[in-house]
Amino acid sequence: MTPQTLAAAFAVGLVVAIAVFLLVTSYNAVMALRQRIDKAWSNIDVVLKQRYDQLPALVSAVRGLMAFEQNVLTDVARARANYSPTEPIPDQGVHAEEMSRAVRSLFAVVEAYPQVRSDANVLALQKEIERLESMIADRRELYNDQVYRYNARITTLPTLLIAPLFGWRERPFFAAQAEETARPATDL
Amino acid sequence: MPIDWVAQGAFIALIGLGAGLWLLARGMAGYRDATRIGDTATSRIGTLAAGEVQVSGVIEPAELTLVSPLRSTTCVYYRASIGDEEDRPDVGDAVAVFGGADFREERAVGFRVRDASGDIRVFPRGARWDAPLVLDDSTGLMGDEPPGLRLRTGPAVAGTGLSREAAIAALLASPTAPSDFRALSILAGSAAGPLGGGDRRRHYREAVLAPGDAVTIMGRAMPFGDLTDPAEADFAIGSDVAADDPEVMGDIAEARQAGLLEATPEEAWGNAAIPGFGIGQPTRAPELVAGANALPIASATEAAATERRFAIAPETLVLASAPGVPLLVAHGMPTAAVDRQQTRFLVGLLGAVLAIGSAVALALMLTGVAS
Repeated sequence: MTPQTLAAAFAVGLVVAIAVFLLVTSYNAVMALRQRIDKAWSNIDVVLKQRYDQLPALVSAVRGLMAFEQNVLTDVARARANYSPTEPIPDQGVHAEEMSRAVRSLFAVVEAYPQVRSDANVLALQKEIERLESMIADRRELYNDQVYRYNARITTLPTLLIAPLFGWRERPFFAAQAEETARPATDL
Repeated sequence: MPIDWVAQGAFIALIGLGAGLWLLARGMAGYRDATRIGDTATSRIGTLAAGEVQVSGVIEPAELTLVSPLRSTTCVYYRASIGDEEDRPDVGDAVAVFGGADFREERAVGFRVRDASGDIRVFPRGARWDAPLVLDDSTGLMGDEPPGLRLRTGPAVAGTGLSREAAIAALLASPTAPSDFRALSILAGSAAGPLGGGDRRRHYREAVLAPGDAVTIMGRAMPFGDLTDPAEADFAIGSDVAADDPEVMGDIAEARQAGLLEATPEEAWGNAAIPGFGIGQPTRAPELVAGANALPIASATEAAATERRFAIAPETLVLASAPGVPLLVAHGMPTAAVDRQQTRFLVGLLGAVLAIGSAVALALMLTGVAS
């Protein structure tokens, strides 16, 4: 084998090695992204479940003190009943938002009842649910960011070339409802 | 073609081949890091969940800080080297490999990283660092030292309990070397006068991460109680042999059986086990020898702050390396870290071109000799 042949073989080998490296790294990156998305979703699910478990205690604590606001409590109970961890993620997103809205309405009404607001048990529950709401918001943002990165990766080179081979498809976002993103009505 | 020119050309081609392959390998590592950082969403520290995470924030000192050897910078990580000018690698960036150094030191201590939502303690053992060079300079032709050089004259480790006034005074004061201080000065060649080190010119390099620097960290968030060896995990110096290494564990068990080890840290360390003792105000009265001046005890607020620094609840999440998830600490926000690694990958591709070009040149020279 002549030196020129060896040099040509070296050049081809190096280019092939770089191409294989890029493909293997891209494959591993997509696998890692899928794991991160699943983990991010599990982390949301944990907090949704905690909120689901905490709500009955809050409703029980305020029920006796807010006899005239049964419709607010009914909304919370209805929203809670819609929660199902086996639903598709977009549906869970919608129901989670419904529950958040019902809880926010409940807290707004609680503000109008000084005797409820000053109850230590209600205060503690309210604080805990607010903490969970904040965690859900943060983790939803994290999940959506992770899904965005995954979707961007499988639709750009070099991963785009191997995505059809492995059947990688875009993942859904944990989206807010349309009415939440609509421009608020203003009457100036 | 004269044979000595061919030999020289072949030698240069071989160097080009090696350098190109080294740049390519380094670029590939950079690409992997860029992918890892770029593909991970940044979590808020306040609502962090356990597992592999990426956080971004500002470094805050924990219990201790380091003093860097070449610029005396208060920091949580440094990597410093002193070597011959001719050993200086041509590719100089934040993580260039220091080659042929006479003095080389890399150290890190645990620190906190804070974002708008909270802070988390980082245990740096086993971490990979991407820190910016703050000093990359050589002695002049007349032996004059580079302007940024400010050799450390005291201990490498400092407490973090400085008041604002003391911190300002320390910042403004020029360090004065104790009369017996020689080690770094001798290594730096300054002890023998301006041209004292013979005709060798020295090259100084130092990379640091200091309190106030923005960093991006990838690692595993885990409860503090799950760390197998918190004391070992808090330092990254020299050997990576941890206390849970089977051989070390065997030695510890043997020593304990022979009665060489105390049962508790309080028994082993005495006053040093009191938070704040020796590096601030102790949180409780130490046992002093008769006639020693009594130490002022920390106020309730100071004691709470000290305890918070020294005592971490077992369920508190901390960041550390874990099998399969090495800790990566990169200077700057995630986009800056990714950009840096991608640049390194592009340089790596140029390295591949250099390697191929060198191989072709070598082949042509060898063919010329053969014919």
